[in-house]
Amino acid sequence: MSWDFLQMEPYMSNVSRRTVVKGSLAAIVTGAAMSRAALAQSSEPIMLGVSGPLTGPNAQYGTQWKQGFDLALDEIHATGGINGRKLAYSFEDSQSDPRQSVAIAQKFVSDPNIVMELGDFSSPASMAASPIYQRAGLVQFGFTNSHPDFTKGGDFMWSTSVSQADEQPLLALYAVKHLGLKKLAVLHLNTDWGRTSRDYFVKAAKDLGAEVVITEGYIAEERDFRSTLVRVRDANPDGLIMISYYSDGALIARQARQVGLKQTICAASSVYSPKFLELGGEAVEDVHLGTRYFPEDPRPEVQKFVSGFKAKYNGQEPDAFNAYSYDAMNVAAAVLKIGGTDRRAIRDAFAKVHDVSTVIFGPATFDVESRRVKGAMNAELVVRKGQFTLWDGKQPT
Amino acid sequence: MSSWLDYTINGLIVGNVYALVAVGLALIFGVSRLINFAQGSIYLVGAYVGWVAVVQLRTPLVITIILVAAISALVGLIIERFGLRPLQNSVRIAPLLATIGISFVLDQIVMLTFSPNPRALPSQLPDIRFQIGAGTIGPLDILIAGVGVTSALLLFVFLRYTKLGWAVRATAQDRDAAMQMGVDVNRVNQAVFGIAAALGGLSGMLVGMYYNQIDTAMSLQATLKGVVAEVVGGAGNVPGAVVGSLLLGLVESYGVAVFGTSYRNLFAFLLLIVVLVLRPNGLFASAKQAPPEPLTGTFIAPSRPVRIPRWALLTAVGAFALLPLLPVSSYVLQTLINAWLLGMLALSLTLVAGTVGQVSLGHAALLAIGAYTSALLSLDFSFPVGIAIICGGLMSAVLGTLLISPSFRLRGHYVSIATLAIGEIISLIILNWESVTRGPIGISGIPPLSLFGHELVSVAQVYWFSFAVMVLLALLQVRLLGSHLGRSFRAIRDDDVAARAYGLSLNRYKALAFIFGGFAAGVSGGIAAHLYSYINHETFNTQQSILALTVVILGGLGNVAGAIAGSVALVGLPEVFRIAAEYRILIYGIVLLLLVRFRPQGLLGTI
Repeated sequence: MSWDFLQMEPYMSNVSRRTVVKGSLAAIVTGAAMSRAALAQSSEPIMLGVSGPLTGPNAQYGTQWKQGFDLALDEIHATGGINGRKLAYSFEDSQSDPRQSVAIAQKFVSDPNIVMELGDFSSPASMAASPIYQRAGLVQFGFTNSHPDFTKGGDFMWSTSVSQADEQPLLALYAVKHLGLKKLAVLHLNTDWGRTSRDYFVKAAKDLGAEVVITEGYIAEERDFRSTLVRVRDANPDGLIMISYYSDGALIARQARQVGLKQTICAASSVYSPKFLELGGEAVEDVHLGTRYFPEDPRPEVQKFVSGFKAKYNGQEPDAFNAYSYDAMNVAAAVLKIGGTDRRAIRDAFAKVHDVSTVIFGPATFDVESRRVKGAMNAELVVRKGQFTLWDGKQPT
Repeated sequence: MSSWLDYTINGLIVGNVYALVAVGLALIFGVSRLINFAQGSIYLVGAYVGWVAVVQLRTPLVITIILVAAISALVGLIIERFGLRPLQNSVRIAPLLATIGISFVLDQIVMLTFSPNPRALPSQLPDIRFQIGAGTIGPLDILIAGVGVTSALLLFVFLRYTKLGWAVRATAQDRDAAMQMGVDVNRVNQAVFGIAAALGGLSGMLVGMYYNQIDTAMSLQATLKGVVAEVVGGAGNVPGAVVGSLLLGLVESYGVAVFGTSYRNLFAFLLLIVVLVLRPNGLFASAKQAPPEPLTGTFIAPSRPVRIPRWALLTAVGAFALLPLLPVSSYVLQTLINAWLLGMLALSLTLVAGTVGQVSLGHAALLAIGAYTSALLSLDFSFPVGIAIICGGLMSAVLGTLLISPSFRLRGHYVSIATLAIGEIISLIILNWESVTRGPIGISGIPPLSLFGHELVSVAQVYWFSFAVMVLLALLQVRLLGSHLGRSFRAIRDDDVAARAYGLSLNRYKALAFIFGGFAAGVSGGIAAHLYSYINHETFNTQQSILALTVVILGGLGNVAGAIAGSVALVGLPEVFRIAAEYRILIYGIVLLLLVRFRPQGLLGTI
């Protein structure tokens, strides 16, 4: 994974070296005082700053981001870049720690080459940096920041993270209306994301007439869920809802089967990853999940993403976080095409981009009020024979 | 009723898993009186070696086990030979810090080699399930239990009935005497590290198979739970570690049963505190057993502090004060702001750990108390920010001291472990006490720093503000150390029995130190809250506590200028190594190890 970054470095330095050579040649040949800046304008890549975890406990997400970014960049460059210029990013490792993300924020805002910032991953790290970006007038494009208050940090905070107010009612609809579950147990990651999601889910499920018999929050490092699942069993639900990431989701599903729970399991889209199948094995068979896309989705943008990803990364299947970062880079490119390289114009361009083709939303347009994108796509999947497949509409018996 | 049977079985199953790590920790503690923070990293190495063997080489189970045990033992031997043996004539605290550095390095090497993505580690045992209660257990549960109990028994027999075992125990009791009796202490240490590492690696592999999942973040959690279990059973007591682990598993399971999942770790750490307060030598210490060697005094490096001339200090303060007027980037200023905030925390910890000898590993909790108090007062009760921060400091001083007071009667390593647990407890209370702290959602929209109605928003203003507060706290602390209070503090650190004989009330002086230190830490947390505008229970985590301790040891325990210099170094180094991208934490770990190796008394020396 780490090699992607290293491969980018020589490429970038080549560009700048070439620029210098050309610049000095031009100066010698014409003898004119041609400003290097003017020349750089056309040939140096437009730089984005990325603040995210490459080391520390969330490092896996940073490496997934890179995969999505690099794929999107390949495609952007193949179609002529940003009005003829290349696009590149500088990834600073924050370990998802607010102390480091604020220092990175100062670094980015004081670097005139950075025209927009992407990230950070966790809410404490992202939102601690928001005041700095807002005051300096640099867009902070937080594409995984579902915290409801993230975009309230100011008019330079924009997000393509799927709002949980949007996502959870879809999951509730799947579980309650389509799968016919009436008494639900909700297991959720006890973070700002998990908690917000749980609240939206519980409300939506109740509105649809289901009863939520128990909710259990667990911390991210938890690995043993057997006792929690006994508690769940005693509440006597007919379905389990997992508001989890793929690694903890797989653990819960495995242990649910081990303690003898046979209820239908229905999970949030964040478990959508080939890793979920690998880690969960047979236990995740028949797990239902709502996702924003799936590989057989006929939409052309999804087909391009999935086949492009597999080709670039040795047949590896993309997951939700790959899709988020891929979309984010494409949205950033669309914004830059309108906004150019002026930081304020870029902020204004977020309101102007219209129907950017994305994997998660289909055509994406920002809601100017909330600075988020509404209307994520929805696919109802189920795991069959170790594969994610489109649910056939048959209720579990 | 049947549910209670299930809770009991589940508690035993997970306790079984903890036992594997705890036994290794107990063995090392028994011999070298060292909490080996690198044990979790060896566990990680074992898990990944297991993955290579199972998935890449497709070895059968027996070969896998031999391979994992051998490679882990080798890693253990390397750690002992190159990481710890050079420190054996150094102070007690040096090897402790070295194990932290080693764990950074090992974790990073594994992460760089295998990428941080979690991997599946399929079990190589047949998938048969046995019905017990309403749930089932598999052959892996039995294997884990078997490995745990057998290794504990074997070790028990080895320590009690073999010659090398006697040598191990003799070394544990008195190194110098053992050496005089002709025991080859180095060989003993080697044997112990090899065995403990083999066990650690094996447990990582088995636990990985158990959950069918391994990832690079598993090391710290394993160490934490292992340490708790080991101390509950009695540090250094191998069979005790197994029972302690099972007890820990049961308490957690019953805690979940009664209060819910989110309270699980709260019970683990409460158990630890209760055991430490009631039976500081662990549950299975015999009444006749001598109390553990007081580590105060010997814990701290005797050294002559570096004398910095007054003019140099004044010049440094002046230079840093004038820095924002020079054309330096706001990135540099922001990094230094972080250093000043960490500096305040380090001042607090250097007083408590260095001057009074109470090595606290839960200091981030004091930050959290200050931060939440200040944030909530300014948001919900519209306190002016300046006053809110001072209230945060006071709250941290009072509440922090009250919460940490159960650890006052403990000594040496036990203080560190108790404070570690208290820190975790405070963070779990913040997570669960939603009506006040807003739980996992955290507090957003905290107003920015302001002074007499003027908002401090520019980097330079924040820089000056935090620098001024830190210098003020530092001056106060220097004054304190020069007074009779400072002498009393040092007397308690150097020899608490003698101090008591002179009529010093230990608890009262320890409380005074925590009150002062709590204030400094609380103010730091308060400023951070207003600076970040958003905090939640993860903002002030265990890593911060470990970082603060590293700073304090690096700067020289008890040394005020050292704490500040250490903060600048440890905030600055990872930023300087930013150019090395993913490798920077690895480099940071190596630099830390070299510093411990060549300057164990800290950069500026202990005062």
